Amino acid sequence: MTEDKNLMMDLEYGIDSRYKSGLESVSEATALMEARLRRMKMLSNDQITKARLLQLKLKMEEFINHPVYDNHNHFSNFLKFYIDSIYSKRSIFAKDINVDPVSLSQVINNHREPKDEFILKLMIHSEKVYKDVCSFNKKIWYQIYFNNKICEIMAKQEQWQPDIEKQVRISEVTKV
Amino acid sequence: MKVIDTVIGEKHLVDILPVDMVDFKTLTKDRYFFDWNLEKKQEVYKLLIKGSKDILGLVSIEKIPQEWRIHIRLLTVSKENKGSEKKYDRIVGCFIAFIAKMAIREYGELACVSLRSKSEIAQHYMDKYAMRLTGMTLSIEVPEIIGLINFYDND
Repeated sequence: MTEDKNLMMDLEYGIDSRYKSGLESVSEATALMEARLRRMKMLSNDQITKARLLQLKLKMEEFINHPVYDNHNHFSNFLKFYIDSIYSKRSIFAKDINVDPVSLSQVINNHREPKDEFILKLMIHSEKVYKDVCSFNKKIWYQIYFNNKICEIMAKQEQWQPDIEKQVRISEVTKV
Repeated sequence: MKVIDTVIGEKHLVDILPVDMVDFKTLTKDRYFFDWNLEKKQEVYKLLIKGSKDILGLVSIEKIPQEWRIHIRLLTVSKENKGSEKKYDRIVGCFIAFIAKMAIREYGELACVSLRSKSEIAQHYMDKYAMRLTGMTLSIEVPEIIGLINFYDND
């Protein structure tokens, strides 16, 4: 048996999927997009919600593993994405977790810090929601919250350090 | 994600990491079947068992954000993981699931992972990874892509 035939016996040894020309790439992309758009129209709301929830989980995991502080990676943004993926109105979510809608709005708009009780309720809620979607570690909400804090504090280090440094001294140092 | 030792059935957690420039010196055609130096300008990832430095497989991809799609350009397992005598199983599946996660993270419900394959191989990818065939292009999208991610993430 020749080497080529050997390779064909294993359907997974490798794939060379590179387009040979720009024209080939465009033509296949067009056909694929048409087929995909037809399939997208057939997606149910449930399938879309599951995809969004999985997207949120993967985005949160990415932020935990590679924390970059920007406007997107904020606790409130992840929370907003979570609620809007499941509920038609945020007030219904507030009712479901027994929280005042105004307080929820303040947390979402960064005008108020979430209390422990709020995050605990969110953990229980998301654990139930994710049960039929994918594996989900409920403590990720706390990890996001504290990662946010760390990123925020370190991003503003130049502002707080001069004043704080004046208040700190080392009077004794243990020599090793 | 895990690969399976085909002899003893033991599962091993894997890392899929970007290929470093220094890695390319070790990516010979003899062990990895293609000239990977041609992919230097692309996004290339390597698969290793956690804690090991031995590269068991490679994939290069092209992100096409305007189509909410990630296209697999080139994918291979290392020589000893090819055929019926392969040492580890599921290397290709782990790669496809890894890219599927990247696509879902970026594009949500619009996510798509695509590749092109010879017709005799296409059926295998359709059966094993629930891919669909459009012309010469195989693709996986929502909802099948979620099932694929969950299978390789949770097993």
